[in-house]
Amino acid sequence: MREKHLRVILTFHTTTDAMAMEACCTEKGISGRLIPVPTVITAGCGLCWSAPPEEQEAALFAAKTAGIPVAGVYQMMI
Amino acid sequence: MAHMVTVDAMGEQCPIPVVKATKAIGELAGPATVEVHVDNETAVQNLLRMAAGKGFAARSQQAEPRHFVVTIEADRPVEPSDEPVACLPDLRGDIVVAVGSAAMGTGSDELGKTLMKGFLYAVSQQEQLPRTILFFNGGAYLTTEGSASLEDLRTMEAQGVEILTCGTCLDFYGLKEKLAVGGVTNMYAIVEKLTRAAKVIRP
Repeated sequence: MREKHLRVILTFHTTTDAMAMEACCTEKGISGRLIPVPTVITAGCGLCWSAPPEEQEAALFAAKTAGIPVAGVYQMMI
Repeated sequence: MAHMVTVDAMGEQCPIPVVKATKAIGELAGPATVEVHVDNETAVQNLLRMAAGKGFAARSQQAEPRHFVVTIEADRPVEPSDEPVACLPDLRGDIVVAVGSAAMGTGSDELGKTLMKGFLYAVSQQEQLPRTILFFNGGAYLTTEGSASLEDLRTMEAQGVEILTCGTCLDFYGLKEKLAVGGVTNMYAIVEKLTRAAKVIRP
């Protein structure tokens, strides 16, 4: 069992949006990673963006400027 | 920097490593980092479980093939407890994961690579980890420099999961010098691991 950390989770309506988010954040140097949506969240497509909580604003701003609609924002220990 | 306490539990079977670590934590005068040295995966799993039960952050690292270091951040004192030490048997199932491609499934390679990253992450999150993960053919890209799955694979390796990549494949793709996690294996060992496994998972 790996050590759990507080992460911000951004969910998307489509897989394409989730993959676009990964490309966008990688290009902008915003830390985080694409992971399968944790099972406690039932909303959104199967992939989500997981980032350190301090990157929440940067990630949301990047999604907004890239025109990627965010379905939901969560904070949880994963 | 926090005070550091080292507990040597090499050669000890559960519950001894957990008992020694719990005693060391109980004797702390203040916040400290407790480093427990053990030589078996079952002890690693039980130490991590004990730390989680007390609410302490903990991580494990494989220093050598039979030498694991579990680091527990004991940031506050704990009350002595009369609870018996709970030790569970090795949770690694007799499962081998065989990864023969950098992408999961056929269709879009871009999607397949994303799915494979997600698959390895999800494997690392399971309570029961596989005993071995084999990488061959295009799967060799996942254990070498530049792979997005290195962190997940290292986490699993630190918990005793054997990570092996086909040497022929590393050579073919020019990745021999770029292996970043686990060891190199050959076809005889791959066949042996697969035939002895109770269950083989092919993503």
